[in-house]
Amino acid sequence: MSKKGTIEVRGFLHLDAFIRKIQGKMPLILDLDAPITGRELAERLDISPDEIEVIFVNGFVQELDFIINPGDRMAFLPPGCPGPYRIALGFYGKNQGNPANFKIKKRG
Amino acid sequence: MFKFIRVNMTNKEVTISEVPEKYVGLGGRELTSNFVNDEVKPTCHPLGKNNKLIFAPGLLSGTAAPNSGRVSIGAKSPLTGGIKESNSGGTFSQNMARMGIKALVIEGMPEDDKFYIIKINKDNVIIEEAPEEILGGCGNYKAIEVLNEKYGDKVGIALAGPAAEYRFATASISFKDPESNIRSGGRGGLGAVMGSKKVKAIILDTEGVERVPVADPDKFRAAVKVFAKALMDHPVAGEGLALYGTNVLVNIINEAGGLPANNFTGGRIDYNDNFSGETLNATIKKRGGKGKVTHGCHRGCIIKCSQWYADEDGEYVTSGLEYETTWGLGADAGIRSLDEIAYIDRAMDDIGVDSIEVAVAVGAAMEGGLIPWGDGKRVLEIIKDMAKPTEMARIIGGGTAVVGKLCGLFRVPVVKDQAIPAYDPRAIKGIGLTYATTPMGADHTAGYCISGNILKVGADIDPLQKEGQIEYSRAMQIGTAAVDSTGMCLFVYFGIADNPGGYQALIDMINAQYGINITATDVDKLGENVLRVEREFNKKAGFTNSHDRLPEFMEYEPLAPHNVVWDFTPEEIDKVFDF
Repeated sequence: MSKKGTIEVRGFLHLDAFIRKIQGKMPLILDLDAPITGRELAERLDISPDEIEVIFVNGFVQELDFIINPGDRMAFLPPGCPGPYRIALGFYGKNQGNPANFKIKKRG
Repeated sequence: MFKFIRVNMTNKEVTISEVPEKYVGLGGRELTSNFVNDEVKPTCHPLGKNNKLIFAPGLLSGTAAPNSGRVSIGAKSPLTGGIKESNSGGTFSQNMARMGIKALVIEGMPEDDKFYIIKINKDNVIIEEAPEEILGGCGNYKAIEVLNEKYGDKVGIALAGPAAEYRFATASISFKDPESNIRSGGRGGLGAVMGSKKVKAIILDTEGVERVPVADPDKFRAAVKVFAKALMDHPVAGEGLALYGTNVLVNIINEAGGLPANNFTGGRIDYNDNFSGETLNATIKKRGGKGKVTHGCHRGCIIKCSQWYADEDGEYVTSGLEYETTWGLGADAGIRSLDEIAYIDRAMDDIGVDSIEVAVAVGAAMEGGLIPWGDGKRVLEIIKDMAKPTEMARIIGGGTAVVGKLCGLFRVPVVKDQAIPAYDPRAIKGIGLTYATTPMGADHTAGYCISGNILKVGADIDPLQKEGQIEYSRAMQIGTAAVDSTGMCLFVYFGIADNPGGYQALIDMINAQYGINITATDVDKLGENVLRVEREFNKKAGFTNSHDRLPEFMEYEPLAPHNVVWDFTPEEIDKVFDF
């Protein structure tokens, strides 16, 4: 868990290199005083929603619009997680309201 | 004519016949498991004369179907004592298929102490003594070089490495890949069965063979196109695995709190960056030389999840550095250096041992005080000593259950004496049901699914809750058994589970090749039947539902960070196979 007033942000697959560039290390520690959705955070960091299949918040798979609070640990996961773990970790269960994310679109 | 070849190592007699009626139309795991159930005495000693070893390509192996070059090997396992199907990439399956060989059975056992080579070409099968220079501790890399030199570098090769010669319960069967490096039929100690029958190598010479016949080439080509597109359009098969390999799971499973650490005492580490798929990719790119970020283990693979890892000078170290190996050595045994892990992976391929079983055995040995935690150099020494073997090498080579017993541990992460792989069942409950119930022992590959309705089955899964897990594990095991029978790589799952068109294309390819008319329901039934046959064998071998359980310590030791235990009751676990 991060300190109150900050969040830990990680990125996986190609977002690993992307996040690392921001502060030169992983995880990225960001100031956060008020709750924010994953979508808003992605926008703030210039990550397109198309590049995110699910987010992790405190070790749980959540949809992009899930709320992140100060003190949380979160991660952005692009499409690309292999294995039956996509199902076993709840990617589909958490994405019911967002058809775009598990009907994976080919990036142009 | 398709061939069914039997080699009797007691009297060195070879029988080449047509495929027996009951095995016509079967391939891969469906064939090996039916054969083992039919012909292997279930109460035999796996290293004795009554066990039989069967190699079978899949239904689509040797064709232009993408990712169809997997081989299945079956026998009674010296590690679990139950039925085993081990599966590998490399060139062997395609060579068998091109030669029209639907199955190769090795049975009996020589009375002398010599090792032999079985050499198969399009006209005959010859058994001859193995050259001295590839025996007695000779590593697999060198053995492949010698055999390429002697028989031609286009031959397919299956090897019993040094560990198999010494009949370690962790011994794999090693297969030559397209560049003469090594892939493994890893789990369950089938290398020891090969070694017990004194077969050092099987050579397949495809000189003069024709293409694999296809009944309806136009329909086949059309189905291949749809199938290939389904794979490539999926970000997992099309990009994720190619760029990051299966190690892409290090960060993901760590984040989910399911990465077993320090002999399964924790679910998350803080040094995951050291050996994640992202770091693997960056390291290979930075070092250049012979390193390759992406590589296929057989021709026709379009996913290419493998890689060539190079040292700081750009020289080849190892390929096929998988998530389970990296996890086992890195997180479970605490070895922090990716280079040390890569060298150990190479050594394990060279000796011919299951990298999962040995890595978990190492973690247990560390808890037991036999090896210092995280000591990659010592681990590498021990693996190399398996060529001799030293007493310590034999201990580790005996597998996790053996180490646990010798060290007096209760924390022994095995099911049916096979080591639990890289996903802790306390944090990912569905996987736990598969580990517990699959006839294979703790096996993470037993639960891949090609069912077109997997979303219906798995749509509401929460990894820390029980709801839906039983149905999920059941569906996944049935689907996997079917995929394993086609000779397809399990990773075709991605083009199929999310894409009904991809699933239909797989069925269309099978139908076009054989001129038959199976449906999705038939494929599901195929999977169910394979599992029934396997459970039947295990029952006759003495297994009961009481063996379908996870280690007791997982019921009461909570796994951080989610602090969860394994809480399925025996009655709930037994429902998985209620079909």
